[in-house]
Amino acid sequence: MSTRRRPAAPISSSSGMTEDTKKILGFIRSKQGIGATKYEITAGTSIQQALVTKATTSLKKSKLIKEVSNKGGKHFLAMEFEPCKELQGGHWYVDGALDVSMIEGLKEFCVKRIEQLKNEVVTLDVIYLCFKKDTLTREQIKEILDNLVLDNVIMAVKSNGSSEHSALRIGEVCYKLIGKKSGGGEARDGAFASIPCGACPHIGLCTPDGAISPTTCVYYQKWLDF
Amino acid sequence: MTTTEFGIVYAVHIITSHFGSVASKVCECLLRRGPLSSREISRLAESDINHTKVKDILYLLIQHNCVQAFSIEPPDGSESKATVQYIALFSNILHRARYNKFSKVVNEELGSQCSGVLDGLLSNGRLTLEQLIDRDRDSKKQMGSEAIRDSLQKLVAARFVERVPSPEPVLGNKDEGPAQKKRGAKASKIFKEPESLDERILEAATPVDAIRFPFIFEQGSSSTVADDDSNISEGKRKQPEVDYTSGPSNEVIWRPNFEELIRRLRHKACVEMVKERRDEGCANVMKAMLEVGRSQEKKAKTDKSLQMSMGSIYEELIKTDAGREMTQERVEACLEQLSATSSYLPAFVIESDGSYIVDFKSIISVAQKDEMESVVMRRYGKEAFRMFRYLSQEDRFVETDKIADAALTEKKDTPQILLKMWKDGYLHMQKLAVTGVYMPFLLWKVNKLVVSRQMLDEMYHASLNLSLRLTHETDSEKEVILTLLLLPMEKLEGALKERRNKYRAKSVLLTSARFKLDDAIMLFHDF
Repeated sequence: MSTRRRPAAPISSSSGMTEDTKKILGFIRSKQGIGATKYEITAGTSIQQALVTKATTSLKKSKLIKEVSNKGGKHFLAMEFEPCKELQGGHWYVDGALDVSMIEGLKEFCVKRIEQLKNEVVTLDVIYLCFKKDTLTREQIKEILDNLVLDNVIMAVKSNGSSEHSALRIGEVCYKLIGKKSGGGEARDGAFASIPCGACPHIGLCTPDGAISPTTCVYYQKWLDF
Repeated sequence: MTTTEFGIVYAVHIITSHFGSVASKVCECLLRRGPLSSREISRLAESDINHTKVKDILYLLIQHNCVQAFSIEPPDGSESKATVQYIALFSNILHRARYNKFSKVVNEELGSQCSGVLDGLLSNGRLTLEQLIDRDRDSKKQMGSEAIRDSLQKLVAARFVERVPSPEPVLGNKDEGPAQKKRGAKASKIFKEPESLDERILEAATPVDAIRFPFIFEQGSSSTVADDDSNISEGKRKQPEVDYTSGPSNEVIWRPNFEELIRRLRHKACVEMVKERRDEGCANVMKAMLEVGRSQEKKAKTDKSLQMSMGSIYEELIKTDAGREMTQERVEACLEQLSATSSYLPAFVIESDGSYIVDFKSIISVAQKDEMESVVMRRYGKEAFRMFRYLSQEDRFVETDKIADAALTEKKDTPQILLKMWKDGYLHMQKLAVTGVYMPFLLWKVNKLVVSRQMLDEMYHASLNLSLRLTHETDSEKEVILTLLLLPMEKLEGALKERRNKYRAKSVLLTSARFKLDDAIMLFHDF
């Protein structure tokens, strides 16, 4: 019997990588800031998933690629690229998480400005000028204002050229705080929402004689406890 | 809208409270199975109720306007007799829980004597004038027969009271299904949608206005309704020869006209909404407009009023104290405000060539939207509220990530929030599989009709719960309630006094909550 060792498999002379690993690295690099998931790498390179897993692990160890997690799963990026906004979630995301405190702070600021300017017609341009130059884009400020509209704190009114909106072009949007004086009044508190059943997440399970019933309900107990 | 599950359960609960469990079994049978003959009810009702007992209960429920009898003409050439069937009147059963609201409407408009007469009709279902007078003789505070007669006349003139409908209208045997399908797209726009069986029965049972509100025509009023042949419909040609709409002494039998009472409550709700969203002036103008248009409304749930001029609105407005303080200029400004539309609030009035139309549908939709959004906020939280409002605005299917971007919520949390709302029936969901993408996209939408139906079912459920809880509290405090009857407040001391105060407070809270919830139920079901 021969005692010679089997010769080792051929490797790239530049980095000691297999051809498959090189191909995978090349594919990931081509995606730049968007990155690629394992599924996309498998589909794009026609390499078996098991080999892709092995290759990505090895590339991570060699610090040639990095991993970025988001709602869509794990994405691999070449080290020289930063994850794009879409991968991070958008310009409100920091390190993959939504910056809630920043958003709430900006919303509060916008509401205060609209309140202070209540005797003026407040458009997006007016609010944009309230911010220091280059802190936020117009698109970002519009997103904050649209979010306040969804919160039912302010309303967006399109100018129709009437006396109230004579300073605006027809179709231009201005913002007002919600309230009687703004001409739209406030939404009423719902009658159904003001009783325990309206807020109850278990109403679907509640029956007159069941384990959850109006006579045994803890929410009713608290509501009537005075 | 077909009746929901908890709608049926709630209606059955009302019948049980007022007429007992046997009556409620008959009623439940009709509500769940649709129109049935008395023999079928006897066979199908949950517990065995003999045929005679079923008939007695049916007469009781008819007396109280909760059931209507009818028969369908046998096919041409057939020798079989038309069988009498019965249908439960779901809306009238629910009205039993709001009689005090109807009484209040009449009291405000016509005074306490008229509301006293109406109360008699509400509690007894239907009475002749003689029976009303007899009832008055037995009461502590007698009005006298002249006052009763006078009040009844006023009630009929205002259409709060009507002659009872035909006891057993006969419907023509129409088989419209296949013929209708053959009609083209154009034809479907010209012809109205086929009526449901309930609608056909009620229409057939309702007499023409001249018979329904007879005092109006005896007085020789200027109304042209009597000359309007469109009041006569197919069903009405088949009135029975013997007039069962009169009592033993050939007197007319009267009953409350729920359609008119609901119309008044609807108008009240619209004025209230205008007051909340605009101002007092606009509310006064709206009230005047509703007065002008009311007599011309064909049905209580009409989408729009008829056209009216500025002149007719102002003429009506200056009849009230508040209206007399308004100049014509101010009224015009109010009409302009009411006609203004924005992304926040739709127009409540439509202006067209100097004429104005009240858009009931628009006003009611704002009130319904407030109710829906309040529930979403309280039950699912602020983020869900933003998502729901965004989807309501978009009124189309939107993908999960786009919703997260618009509502500024964490992308990884958004699907959970949307799924919670979807499981409870507040959102519609669709999966979209795309080639090359591992996970299918989830698309979401708010379907207003489906959400309205879901909310209505939950509100019936909640109203039932409030009633059951009040019964439970009352049963738990029987001893305390006895003291309410036997001892005045000043004589109670210590723990018993405290218990009585607590019970009273709970009773008031539960009753008032049910009262307000009923307004919301009317918003989705009756208005």
